[in-house]
Amino acid sequence: MAYERRWETRRRGGRSAGDEARESYYGVPVIHRAPWRWEIPTYFFLGGIAGASYVIAGIAHVFGGDEERPVVRAGRYLSLAALIPSPILLILDLGRPERFHHMLRVFKVRSPMSVGTWGLVVFGAFSTLSALIQAAEDGLFGRGTLVARLLLRLPSRAIAFLGQFPAFFVSGYTGVLLAATAVPLWTRNYLLMGPLFLASALSNALAAITLILTVAGRTSHRSLRRLERFETVVMGVEALLLAALRLNSGKTIARPMHEGRLGRIYRVGVLGTGLGLPLLVQAPGAWLGRRLPRGVTVLAALLTLIGGALFRYLIVTAGHRSADDPQATFELTRARENGSRRS
Amino acid sequence: MSTTVIRDQPGRTGTTGARPGAVGFLTDTTLCIGCKACEVACKQWNQLPMDEFGFTGYSYDNTGDLSATTWRHVAFIERISDSEGRRPTTMRAFQSNWLMMSDVCKHCVNAGCMEACPTGAIIRTEFDTVVVQQDVCNGCGYCVPACPFGVIALDLGDGRARVGDHKAHKCTLCYDRLRDGLEPACAKACPTDSIQFGLVEDLMDRAKQRVADLRAQGVEEAHIYGDRAVGGTGGIEGLNAFFILTAPPEVYNLPAQPELPQRKTIPASVSTALAAVAFAVGAILSLRRK
Repeated sequence: MAYERRWETRRRGGRSAGDEARESYYGVPVIHRAPWRWEIPTYFFLGGIAGASYVIAGIAHVFGGDEERPVVRAGRYLSLAALIPSPILLILDLGRPERFHHMLRVFKVRSPMSVGTWGLVVFGAFSTLSALIQAAEDGLFGRGTLVARLLLRLPSRAIAFLGQFPAFFVSGYTGVLLAATAVPLWTRNYLLMGPLFLASALSNALAAITLILTVAGRTSHRSLRRLERFETVVMGVEALLLAALRLNSGKTIARPMHEGRLGRIYRVGVLGTGLGLPLLVQAPGAWLGRRLPRGVTVLAALLTLIGGALFRYLIVTAGHRSADDPQATFELTRARENGSRRS
Repeated sequence: MSTTVIRDQPGRTGTTGARPGAVGFLTDTTLCIGCKACEVACKQWNQLPMDEFGFTGYSYDNTGDLSATTWRHVAFIERISDSEGRRPTTMRAFQSNWLMMSDVCKHCVNAGCMEACPTGAIIRTEFDTVVVQQDVCNGCGYCVPACPFGVIALDLGDGRARVGDHKAHKCTLCYDRLRDGLEPACAKACPTDSIQFGLVEDLMDRAKQRVADLRAQGVEEAHIYGDRAVGGTGGIEGLNAFFILTAPPEVYNLPAQPELPQRKTIPASVSTALAAVAFAVGAILSLRRK
């Protein structure tokens, strides 16, 4: 909000105050951008992996055979591991972290952040429980001890099935949370944000599970191929959704996504490194059965994860930029010339 | 933005969804002389710290914008040229070629900040105003991008905001003064009655009369910003603090047809749920026992 920032913005491109004054109020943003820092895109990345790896583990558990046991095991542990930093990041981002529990004094259906908080609490219970069951199955609580026997007696399949609902919720609600704001880039694409965040979460979780299983080297080639097949499909959908987002935004609102440093991150980081390269490497292996060297699989998975993290950074930062651009807000809220207005 | 045309909708102009008994502001920009008494009175009464001393280059506006510690902001628009780039040769009787507007929180009938707030810190008071409870706010910042007018902000202690309590702040419509039967400090201090305080229904009648008078005097662009036709659109249903403008809203840095952001929550959730079902089917087909 300090005007020093605006002064710099205005000076970029050699535009005078008079130039800016003709198109807007001296280029002053119409709306305020979200005050979020690095914690929020990092949470979007980790929370997405936590939710989506629970989804993969659960579906492999309920519908898959014994061959998928390593997938279930990796997914359950990964879910909890990615989940643990999430509330810490969210609390750190608060202006008053010591008041984090004020989130838990109300439940507001119309506020995606309130619903998200409660969804995260519920999912936390499922994720922890499933990881504990896995630990008991792996004998981490000893053989025949009280805790181990208790955990092994739990209906783990039913838990995995029920947990699918909060797991999908945690993977996708963040997109809805961004859509329900006045930020032009996010709200213009309100139907695409949730599906896009889901797709990104799933492809990241699949890449992370593939990475773990390949490095550990304890899974069948067939099982890995199934994961990779699904991953290529998800990444294809993700690429389509990204293209739809670009088209639907229009030139002014999409501007932060194709200009300057963010534009390079979008083209090279998200599209090239995160989607293009891994797809190119994995698709022949997954669909034609060509066996890839382990190193290549690991590399493709790493690239997908880097791309996923960059995507979360990009969508948040480009949103901030679109909030700072008065022309983007005016385009979103322009009066219709013919007098027929949205009521 | 010069192409934006404000046309009245029959039966919608001057109508508001404000609840009976709601109080608010009518800010008549045609009476504003740009003295900034409202800014000063607001700062004094609410004990808000000063803005950083500096020069923006935005005409006489060195305040810049509404912020966590600036709850009234007088905008200065110099009409250097019209939309075709011509210099004006005639001068309006009432305001020369200046547009000045004292901006403030709109106290929306349906408020985006209030709906977004996950702690219940933002409430609607007995006066139908929107207020942040400072003992509840935990500074999550979700209300900030949820305001379609760029009003509410976190006091992050950087730049001009000197307190730095990291909580959300905005105009309270002087809740403490209302409790004691006083009008808000800005309205009290305004020397031209550009800022008027009262019941929204009374103010709206007054605004309609004023717009009719202005139009009779030849100011055809005069219109109400903040009824259901302009400004209070898209589920917002009206602003308890509304304005009389003589140019398109964008000239004053106001969105012409804003929307309540939470309107997107249900359709966005439905599309996400459908995508989730599709991905679940895909995962089952890929991972099922063969």
